[in-house]
Amino acid sequence: MGVEQEKTVIYDHRISTVVPATVTGNAVLHELTNMDLIMKLHYLRAVYYFNQSEITDGITIADLKNPMFLWLNICYPMAGRIRRAESGRPLIKCNDCGLRIIEARCRRTLGEWLDVESSSSSRWRLLVPDKVLGPDLQFSPMVYMQFTRFKCGGMAIGYSWAHVLGDPMSATNCINLWGELFSGNPPPKTLQLNNHQKKAESAATHVKVSPKPIPVNQVELIGDGWLAPNTRKMATNSFRITETKLKKMQPEQLKQVPTFVIISAMIWKCLAKIRKSRESKMATICRYLTLAKCSKILNNMLKTSTVRLDSSAANFGLLELATLICKQEADESKSVEELVDIENGKPDFVLYGANLTFVDMEGINLYGLELKGQKPVQVDYSIDGVGDEGAVLVLQGPQRTNETSSNQERLVMVILPEDEIQQLCELLSSEFGIAQDLKINHKLSVTNM
Amino acid sequence: MPRAPLPEFSSSVRLKYVKLGYQHLVDNFVTFLSIPVMVAVGLELVRRGPQEIVGLWRALELDVIHILCSVFVIIFVATVYFMSRPRPVYLVEYACFKPPSNCRVPFSTFMEHTRLINSDEKSVQFQMRILERSGLGEETCLPPANHYIPPHPTMEASRAEAQLVIFSAIDDLIRKTGLKPKDIDILVVNCSLFSPTPSLSAMIINKYKLRSNIRSFNLSGMGCSAGLISIDLARDLLQVHPGSNALVISTEIITPNFYAGNQRAMLLPNCLFRMGAAAILLSNRRRDAGRAKYRLVHVVRTHKGADDRAYRCVYEEEDAEGHTGISLSKDLMAIAGEALKSNITTIGPLVLPMSEQLLFFLTLVARKLINPKRKPYIPDFKKAFEHLCIHAGGRAVIDELQKNLELSAEHVEASRMTLHRFGNTSSSSLWYELNYIESKGRMRRGDRVWQIGFGSGFKCNSAVWKCMRTVKTPIDGPWSECIHRYPVHIPEVVKL
Repeated sequence: MGVEQEKTVIYDHRISTVVPATVTGNAVLHELTNMDLIMKLHYLRAVYYFNQSEITDGITIADLKNPMFLWLNICYPMAGRIRRAESGRPLIKCNDCGLRIIEARCRRTLGEWLDVESSSSSRWRLLVPDKVLGPDLQFSPMVYMQFTRFKCGGMAIGYSWAHVLGDPMSATNCINLWGELFSGNPPPKTLQLNNHQKKAESAATHVKVSPKPIPVNQVELIGDGWLAPNTRKMATNSFRITETKLKKMQPEQLKQVPTFVIISAMIWKCLAKIRKSRESKMATICRYLTLAKCSKILNNMLKTSTVRLDSSAANFGLLELATLICKQEADESKSVEELVDIENGKPDFVLYGANLTFVDMEGINLYGLELKGQKPVQVDYSIDGVGDEGAVLVLQGPQRTNETSSNQERLVMVILPEDEIQQLCELLSSEFGIAQDLKINHKLSVTNM
Repeated sequence: MPRAPLPEFSSSVRLKYVKLGYQHLVDNFVTFLSIPVMVAVGLELVRRGPQEIVGLWRALELDVIHILCSVFVIIFVATVYFMSRPRPVYLVEYACFKPPSNCRVPFSTFMEHTRLINSDEKSVQFQMRILERSGLGEETCLPPANHYIPPHPTMEASRAEAQLVIFSAIDDLIRKTGLKPKDIDILVVNCSLFSPTPSLSAMIINKYKLRSNIRSFNLSGMGCSAGLISIDLARDLLQVHPGSNALVISTEIITPNFYAGNQRAMLLPNCLFRMGAAAILLSNRRRDAGRAKYRLVHVVRTHKGADDRAYRCVYEEEDAEGHTGISLSKDLMAIAGEALKSNITTIGPLVLPMSEQLLFFLTLVARKLINPKRKPYIPDFKKAFEHLCIHAGGRAVIDELQKNLELSAEHVEASRMTLHRFGNTSSSSLWYELNYIESKGRMRRGDRVWQIGFGSGFKCNSAVWKCMRTVKTPIDGPWSECIHRYPVHIPEVVKL
C-alpha cells in the first residue's frame, strides 16, 4: 500500500465542537497537581472498534453528540483549556470551550481494516487525531473524539486524551460514563467532581531528595508545543497473548507472580538481546491507583517504581527475572512528585520512555464502553510522547466469555524505536511463540446481546 | 439683605408639585370643564322646581311620531357608530422557542472557532472585541450546522433549523391554548434571510394539516422589524374577516447566513445573531376577549427608505472575495435615531397624555417663533407606557435608545437581559422581552406595552398593546429555568 493511498483511505473529515449543557461558572479553575504536570507531555490514544450491527447502523451523529452535553456537565474540566497562573504554573480554566469531534469515513470495511498487516501496524493512527497541546495552549482542546464509519457498516471511536487531565483509568472511566449516558442510563447520583487538594500537597513537597530519581527525564521543549522531541523514530505494534500461552508461562511455583510481571520480564529479555550494549539495565514500572468505575475523579495517580539490574536482562531466565522484578521494585512516586517546582510548574518531564517503561493497564476496563449493550470487538491503545527507551503497555484483551479477568488473554502494545520492532516480533515468535495481533476473527461475537 | 436662596431640595419638591398639578389639570381638562357646567345645570333645575320642568316638557308639544322618529334616529346613529369602529384585535397567547442546550455556544468556543476559520488575524481580533462588548451571555445558541469548523450550511440544514424552531414554538402555543390546527384562518410567517420553495408557510400548512382555504402569507427580506409588520398585516386581515383568528410566526434562520469572509462591516451579524422564533395567536372573536392576554391598540410603521443613506445602511452584498454578507454602515446609530424620531412623532399624539402633548406643542412654537436655540422638549414616554420592549439588536441600539428617550435601567432591563440570554434573535426578540416582563410578574391588567422594532430598509415600527388580564407567575416559557438568575449585571467588557 502506497503512502498516498494510505492517507486518503480515511476521508470526508468534518470537525465540530461539543460543549457542556450548562454554564460551568465564572472563572472556575481546575488546579493541576505536580503529578499532572509531570505527565503533561504524554497523550493517550485509544480506538474502539464496533462491529456492524443494528445498533451501529442506526446511530446518527446527533445521537452520538447528545449525551455528551450532560457528560461534559459532569466532567467539566475536559471542556476547559490550559492557562497559566501569574507564577507561570499551568492550570485548567473551565471555560466550557468544549471537546473536538471529528467525523470521517473509511473506504475499507471493518474486517479489512482489522486484518491489515502493515510493518508498523499503526492502523489506529488514522482513526484518532494526533494533536497535542500547543503551540496555542489557550485554544488547544484536551480531548478529541473521532467517529469513523466503515464501508458496509461498523464504526471506530477514536479517543485522544491529554495525560495532564488524568491517567488512563480516569480517561477510561470518563468515556465509559459517556457510553452509559448514550445507552440511556441515568447519570450517577452525585454529580460533583472531586477536585483534589493541591494546597495540602504543596506544603509537603518543600524538601527535595538529593539523589535524582530515575523514572523521569527532564526535557527542554522547543517552542510552545507540549510534545518532547524524539531522537529516534518511534512506532507501535501489538501482540496477543492467549490464555493458553499465559498458563504455559506461569508454572505452579510462580502462581503469586502477577501476569503483568511475567509479560514484562519476557519483553525485557527480548529487548535486552536486541539492544545488547545499549541496554540500560533499568526499567520503570507504572501502575495506576485511581479506582476503576469511579467516574468522579479526574486525576493522575500513578505509582512509579524502578528496577535496577546488575547485569543485562538477557542473562536471566524468564522466571528468575520475573521474581527479581517483584522483589526489587523500588517505589519512587514521592520523589518524582517533589521534582516539580510549586511556583511555576517547571521543569518539563517525560515519564514513559525515560527508561524502558512497563505500564500495567490490566485493570483498565477498556471493553466497558458499551453502546446500548454492544461492546467493542477490539480496542487499540497507545501513548504519544513516549521517550526513546520505549514503553510496553499490558492491556486487557477482549472478553470471550463472561469470566473475570484472571483468565483473559492479554494484549501487549509496544511503543519502540522502529528498527527494534521487527526484531522483537521475530524474537517473540521464535522464543515464546507469540504472534502479532493479526487476522483476528472479528466475527466472534464478543459478549454482544 | 438679599434672602438666602431656597435650598435645592425644597425648590425641587415645589417644582414637582407644580408639574403634578399641571399634568392633572391638562389630562383631565374635559372633566374639569364639565363639572362646573353640570353643577350649574343641577342648581338651575333644583331652583326651578319639578312643576316648571313638566310644564316645559308639555310646551314642546311632542306627539308619538316625533318621539319614535327621534328614537330611531338615535338608534341608527348609534349602530352606524358601533359598526364603523375597528374590530378589536386580541392577542390570545404567544409562545417562544426555547433553544436546547445542545446548541449552546459559549464565548470561548465561539472565539476558538473564529480563530480556526478565519485566517486574517485582524478580523479575529475585531470579532473578539465585538464579543467582549456585545452584551451577550454564555448561553446563547446557534444551530447545529454552525458548530462545524467551518460551518456547514446546506439547504437541508436550514430547513431542519426552520422546522426545529418553528414547530417547537407552534407546538408550545397549541399546548397552551388548545388551538386546533383546522381552526386557523390566517397564517402570516416572516423570516428575512431564508426563503425556500415551497415557502415556510407552506411547510407549516403541510406539517399541521391546515385548512385548504387558509389565507397564508410569507414575508421575506423585511429585516428585523418584520415581526411588527406581520402583526400589522394580520390586524388588517382581521378587520376584513369577522370571527377569525390569525397565527403569526416570527423567526430568523441563521444556518445559511454565516459570513465566511474578513470584511469588518459584515462580521457583526456573525457575532450577534442567534436562534429564536415566536408564534403568536391573534383573534377578533368576541369569545376570545375573555381569555386574551393583550389587545392591540396601535401599530405605527415608519419607512425611511426614501433616503439613500437609510436605504444602504443595512445592505446585503458580496465582498471582494465573493463571500455574501450583510454590511452595516457606520452611521447606523444615527439613522436609527432619526427613524425613531419619525416614528415617535407619529405615535406621540396617539398615546401621550394631553399634558405632554401640550408641553411639546408649546416648546415647538417657542422654538420656531421665539428662540430657535431652545432645547427641544422630549415628551416623557414613560407616562404613556408601563413597559417597553426595544428590539435587542445590539448593546449600542439599546444604549442609544435609553439615552434618547431618557429611560431608566428598569425600562430597558427586558431588552438587555434578552440580549444576554438569547442574543439577537431578530424579529422574535420583542416576544422574548415581553415574556421576560411576564416571567418577572410585572405585567398587570391595564398595563400598556410599547414594542419598538428596527430593521433594514431602514424601518422603525411600533406596536402598542394593552394588557387585559394580570399574568400570574410562574409561567411556562423560555425563561422558566433561568428567570431566577436575572437580572444579571452585564459588565462593559467581558474578559475572555
